[in-house]
Amino acid sequence: MEDGVTATQVVFWILAVVMLVSAIGVITAGNIVYAALFFIAALAGVAGIYLILTVEFIALVQLLIYGSAVVILILFALMLTRARERPQALFGRSRPLGIAAALGLMAALIGGIVATTWTTPESSSAIQPVGLQTIGDAIFTIWIVPFIIVGVLLSIALDGAIMLASPDEDDN
Amino acid sequence: MPALEHILVVNAILFAIGAMGVLTRRNAVLILLSVELMLNAVSLNMVAFAVYGHVDFGNITGIVFAFFIIVIAAAEVALALGIVVRTFRNRATANVDEVNLLKW
Repeated sequence: MEDGVTATQVVFWILAVVMLVSAIGVITAGNIVYAALFFIAALAGVAGIYLILTVEFIALVQLLIYGSAVVILILFALMLTRARERPQALFGRSRPLGIAAALGLMAALIGGIVATTWTTPESSSAIQPVGLQTIGDAIFTIWIVPFIIVGVLLSIALDGAIMLASPDEDDN
Repeated sequence: MPALEHILVVNAILFAIGAMGVLTRRNAVLILLSVELMLNAVSLNMVAFAVYGHVDFGNITGIVFAFFIIVIAAAEVALALGIVVRTFRNRATANVDEVNLLKW
C-alpha cells in the first residue's frame, strides 16, 4: 500500500470482478445448467481471493469440497429435477421487489463498511501469512471438540440425505 | 495486499447478489446456489478479518470458522438437495412457489 498499486492488488481486483460477474451470471442465467457453470467460476474466484489472503488451506478445501463435491451434487439435482414437459419461468412474480430489497441491503452494508474506521496494520508488511501448521494446531487443539462434532454432523446429514432421497418400499 | 475495506465491499456486493438470487429465483436448486454465494461471502469476510488481525490479536479463529462453514455447507447442500429431489418426486416440480403443502 505504501508503494502504490501492487501486483497483488491488481490480481485481487481482477479476481473480484470475475467473481462478481459470475455471481450475477448465477442469478440471471436463463439456462439452469449455465447458472451452475457460472457458480463454478464464482467459486474459483473466491478460492483465488483465499490464495491472495495467503490461506492456501482454505483455498484447497474450497476447491475440493465446493468446486467438486457440491457442484457435482448440484448438477445431479438440476438434471434430476428438470421438468421436461413445459418451459418454465425462472423468476418469481415478486422479482422487482426482490431486486429492490437486495439493492437496499447492499447499500446498507457498503454504507456501514465505509462509515466504520477499521484499525488495520498500516503497512502491508505487518500482515503475516498464516501457515498451514498454525491452522492445523488451532483445529486439533482449541477446536478439536467442534471438529469432531462437525464430522459427526456431516455423516448424519449425509445419511439423512440418502434416507430422504431414497424411494419408499411401497412406492414400487 | 488489498485494503481490508475493499475486500469487505466486494464481499458485501457478493452477499447482496446472493440475496437477490434467493429473492428472485423460483427454482429451489438455483435458490440453493444463491445461498451458497452468500455463505461464500461470509466465510471470505471471516478469513479477511483473521488474516488482517491475527498479528495484533493473536488468533486465527476466522480461518477455522471458514473451514467449519465449508464443511457445514456441504452437509446443508446434501440435505437440501435430498429434500428437493423428494419434493420433485411427490409434486413434479422444483419451483418453490408451487410447493404449497404447508399452506393453511
